[in-house]
Amino acid sequence: MTDRFRRVMAGLLIVCMGGLSAPLPALAGIVSTDTVVAGAERERLAGMLDRSEVRERLRALGVDPANAKARVAALSDAEAAQLAAQLDELPAGGDILWAAVLIFLVLLVTDMMGYTKIFPFTRSAR
Amino acid sequence: MPGVRTPAAAGVFILAAALLAGCAAPQVSSLIEQRPAGLPEAAEIAATPFFPQEDYQCGPASLAAVLVHAGRDATPESLLAQVYLPARKGSLQAEMLAATRRHRLVAYPLAPRMEDLLRELAAGTPVVVLQNLALDWWPQWHYAVAIGYDLGRREVVLRSGVTRRLTMPLDTFEHTWARSGHWAMAALPPDRLPATASESSYLTAVAALERLAPAAARRGYETALARWPGSVAARLGLGNASYALGDLPAAAAAYLRATLDHPEAADAWNNLAQALHELGSREQALAAARRAVALGGPRLPAYRETLDGILRAP
Repeated sequence: MTDRFRRVMAGLLIVCMGGLSAPLPALAGIVSTDTVVAGAERERLAGMLDRSEVRERLRALGVDPANAKARVAALSDAEAAQLAAQLDELPAGGDILWAAVLIFLVLLVTDMMGYTKIFPFTRSAR
Repeated sequence: MPGVRTPAAAGVFILAAALLAGCAAPQVSSLIEQRPAGLPEAAEIAATPFFPQEDYQCGPASLAAVLVHAGRDATPESLLAQVYLPARKGSLQAEMLAATRRHRLVAYPLAPRMEDLLRELAAGTPVVVLQNLALDWWPQWHYAVAIGYDLGRREVVLRSGVTRRLTMPLDTFEHTWARSGHWAMAALPPDRLPATASESSYLTAVAALERLAPAAARRGYETALARWPGSVAARLGLGNASYALGDLPAAAAAYLRATLDHPEAADAWNNLAQALHELGSREQALAAARRAVALGGPRLPAYRETLDGILRAP
């Protein structure tokens, strides 16, 4: 396979895949359901919304570029705006990590009181 | 208090005991005090699949369980590329909803109420929940799948982490769940309405699906109309999904019905004008567009553009 052929194929693939994940173009003359459902909220968000910025932030967090594009395209306007505005503060559900002894003790106690649930061996008061 | 013997630990315990008034959780207590009508004492969706999670990947594992339960192909591995954020070692709520839509399912965020969560479980719908297992100032965010509950035993049943059937006191669950703002999500095929669906939340969920999967969204709007026949947003959505699918006659029929049911709905008149215009009915299209402009409202500039477009056309 020549380099040139490879480049052309890669170019085609990028174009094809880009087409798959691109957001739908605004339909001339049609008021979208998103707009009707969101009402005034939507007008406020429209100014803040920048999907390419969200895409960049996902890439900075380790998502590969093709996936980032498809992921941003799947967000609603409101979700995209929320991610653009406060991605760093949003919770990312992951897993239980272990830390310092003090925290261990605090959590042991709160676990026993049924306020938290970190340790599999605790039985809360209720 | 076995295991808590050092003075420091005892101090921590006394401090914590002073800070925490008690451990019964408010929503659970009122639910048990007075069980709402129609809510069974216990339920469990034993058929919910289980994918034990790899490191930090409770998001993909929980999501895979509900997607497969709803009849879609998914594995935690296939979902990694859709929801996992390597640098955050976790998954965002918005992306859990978005990935659900990529599987042509309605991603429905539940109202933040324990009663709604239990009603969905009683109706046979497993629910992804976000918990903060630790404390507000040292959060440990964790996704799990709620699959059942037992009010008599005061327990919730979860698919969680590497545990296939984890039972947890409902009060403890409520405390850990409240720290995420009681976040919960159901994944449903568009022909099944969530048991606790509200008109506006359901239509927002279907509208978000419309961009990705108009055929599934069209089904969702039909489901909404069966439950709320007078919903102007659902009728308009049915038209828009049909329009996106290239089915102009169905789109025009839905818009027309919307204008008959809601003569004051300017958006419906505007979209009807555009669909009729594309169908070649110039005079009727002009009349509908003028009606939209006459009604006005926040989207008047868009209506004017539609009218101009029809006038300019040869």
